[in-house]
Amino acid sequence: MNAGLVEILFNGNVLALLGAALAVFLAGLGSAKGVGMVGEAAAGVVTEDPEKFGQTLLLQALPGTQGIYGLLTAFVILNKIGLIGGTPVQLTSAQGLLFLFAALPIAIVGYFSAINQARAAVAGVGIIAKRPEELAKAITYAAMVETYAVLALLASILMVFGIAI
Amino acid sequence: MAIVKMQKIFLLSLVKEKQQLIDTLMKLGVVQINTLDPQALDDEYAKLIVNDGNEQLVQEIEDKMARIKAVIDYLGKYDSRKKGLFSSGRPVEIEKYQDLVNHQNEIWQVVEQISKLDEELVALRSEENRTENLIASLEPWKPLDVEVDTPSTKNVTFLTGTTPAMVNMDNLAQELAATVPEIYLNVINSDRDQNYLFIAYLKKREDEVMGLLKAHGFSKVVFKDLSGTIADNLVKAQATLKTIADRRQAIEQRIAAFAGEIEKLEILYDHYAIQRDKTKVLERLAKTDKTFMLEGWVPAEESEKVKREIEKQYDCLLEIKEPEKGEQYPILLKNHPLVEPFEIVTEMYSLPNANEIDPNPFMAPFFFLLFGIMIGDAAYGIILALVTGYVIKKFKPQGMAGKLLKLLFFGGISTFFWGAMFGSWLGDLVSVVSGGSYNIPPLWFNPMDDPMKMLIFSFAFGAVHIFVGMGLKGYMLIRDGKPLDALFDIGSWYLLIPGLVMMFAGGIIGTIGKYTAIIGALMIVLTGGRNEKNIFKKLTGGLGSLYGISGYLSDILSYSRLLALGLATGVIASVINTIGTLFGFGLFGITVLIVLLIFGTIFNIAINALGAYVHASRLQYVEFFGKFFEGGGKAFQPFKISTKFIKLTNTGGK
Repeated sequence: MNAGLVEILFNGNVLALLGAALAVFLAGLGSAKGVGMVGEAAAGVVTEDPEKFGQTLLLQALPGTQGIYGLLTAFVILNKIGLIGGTPVQLTSAQGLLFLFAALPIAIVGYFSAINQARAAVAGVGIIAKRPEELAKAITYAAMVETYAVLALLASILMVFGIAI
Repeated sequence: MAIVKMQKIFLLSLVKEKQQLIDTLMKLGVVQINTLDPQALDDEYAKLIVNDGNEQLVQEIEDKMARIKAVIDYLGKYDSRKKGLFSSGRPVEIEKYQDLVNHQNEIWQVVEQISKLDEELVALRSEENRTENLIASLEPWKPLDVEVDTPSTKNVTFLTGTTPAMVNMDNLAQELAATVPEIYLNVINSDRDQNYLFIAYLKKREDEVMGLLKAHGFSKVVFKDLSGTIADNLVKAQATLKTIADRRQAIEQRIAAFAGEIEKLEILYDHYAIQRDKTKVLERLAKTDKTFMLEGWVPAEESEKVKREIEKQYDCLLEIKEPEKGEQYPILLKNHPLVEPFEIVTEMYSLPNANEIDPNPFMAPFFFLLFGIMIGDAAYGIILALVTGYVIKKFKPQGMAGKLLKLLFFGGISTFFWGAMFGSWLGDLVSVVSGGSYNIPPLWFNPMDDPMKMLIFSFAFGAVHIFVGMGLKGYMLIRDGKPLDALFDIGSWYLLIPGLVMMFAGGIIGTIGKYTAIIGALMIVLTGGRNEKNIFKKLTGGLGSLYGISGYLSDILSYSRLLALGLATGVIASVINTIGTLFGFGLFGITVLIVLLIFGTIFNIAINALGAYVHASRLQYVEFFGKFFEGGGKAFQPFKISTKFIKLTNTGGK
């Protein structure tokens, strides 16, 4: 392979940006899919009973947070390497890899937890259909899944904060 | 300040006083009436007693309510009254109410008229549908200028019909011409689905013509009940549509003229709602020929008043009893106004049962603090508190919505407090705008600069929260006369976990911590299996209990979300600030900054308030309630006047 291309691929800044991009697009994909799933289920319930819009909307919002967490991690990375609000730093390949790996927890856990949280939320929409007064329980089931996205976000952010440049 | 004590009320009186008595009870509004099952009475008189109630009458009243409701809904769209988001019963003076109920015939006439007008509208709508369908079916035939009722002659037959669009017309024409030369074929129209044909042929060649047409998928079209040309019919149909629209408008105007009656309709609806409740409650009573019996719950503080009021007016036997030990009674919570809004968090989980304590006074301060830490921005807190405070003051929402708004109001105050502690005011706006030369220093520390410190604070907060929960369990065990259980199951952990934490400190504290932890762990191992008989099971039970430490550990680690959600708010805020200042500080730049700040801030507050509410609730439900709370209580539902639209008031008063 072309030596110049290899050099570009293993450029520290490229790797760090890859990490940021992964965090945004994997977690974002998961959230987009998840929010869509809950929206479909919610629309079915609202067809029968339009007054349940507010309650189902709340459930639909829940799997959306992973996408925000991904964006957040990306922003912390960009901020740290000076791409926004600062002077850009030239990273070594090793530093770039560190950023890439630091982004992985929220990228991967974000993707899967959003979809699984959406499943719990879809089931929650079923609760709302029959027993609207039990909204809190439906939310709690979905929020149990969210815990792991929060933990992954925490791990990612602590890692990014901890990388010395 | 907790669960309201209930007393059982038992009442025996004469059937002739029943209606009056029910009326009085409803006005008092503090007695929950239980369903009595005569069969369950272990008594020699049991077979003389039957359930009261009149299902048929309830049904009749509900039918009336349904009719009034339909008209109210119908008039709703013409209702010009301004309605609040949280409208709570329009006050109506009792005299006005009585007067209206006495003259309810007038209102029923309105109901009748509107129902009749509505029926007319329905008829018009179906006629409109029919006409529109006719137009749609005639439209493709428009170019046909032969009158559709032209009769066939002795020798020639006229025919209209369609073939599927895929049949090639040129081929068909050629084939027809080849087989039956004496034929007239006119393709009137073609669209995506069909070709529209007009054909004239000699009657004697009918079999050949039809055979060929059938082979090409021809199907005959007959214009039933029509005469004249298609174009004439279309014009006529359009005219019909116009008339229908005019008539509908006229009817709608007549209905709209009734919009002023809606207030009376609402009063009448509520009148029947009250009648329905009064009739329906009879199902819960038991009666004999001359007497009836009622059993229920009344808050202990109200029981004297109820007894006095009833005995003053009626001939009856009324007995007030304390509930038996362990008997479940309906739950009514009474808390300090500061704690009350937080009741919804518990209500959404489950009401406490009658044997436990009300968790709200203990849960509320933690929820308050947790909510604030998770958002943690002083300016957001001020905005949240101001907005919810304004809505509360302006609309005075009741019930669930009211509690939720008050909870958010308190949450806003907490958010302000923690935001000031952490030095976050609209994120890092001041620092970004001033290019780093100014900064609002945190009163305590900035979690963005020192996340580890924040993480340890979160764990410590979690440990305190969980320990309070365990303490409540211990309290209930001691209250129930099981002090040893409290010592073994709660006290041992009180030694072990702080001991473990102290060990990290090292030095003399570390040594003390080590021995404390060992004593705690030994207590757990030795007593965890004390309910087992077999010595081997005693040991494994004890070790199993010690393994519970992993549960406490994961509970405490769960509080790391305080850091994560706090960071999330801060980082989103700084994203907004950074993007907002990208365009400099010219007129354009400032405009962009302000617009972004407004929308970004609304978004950030909304998403994080939802997150904070959900996660603060989760920490209460799973980590805190899990330690002591059973729940399963049924809500106290007193028999009272419950109306949908109006609120009855005395003359002149409120």
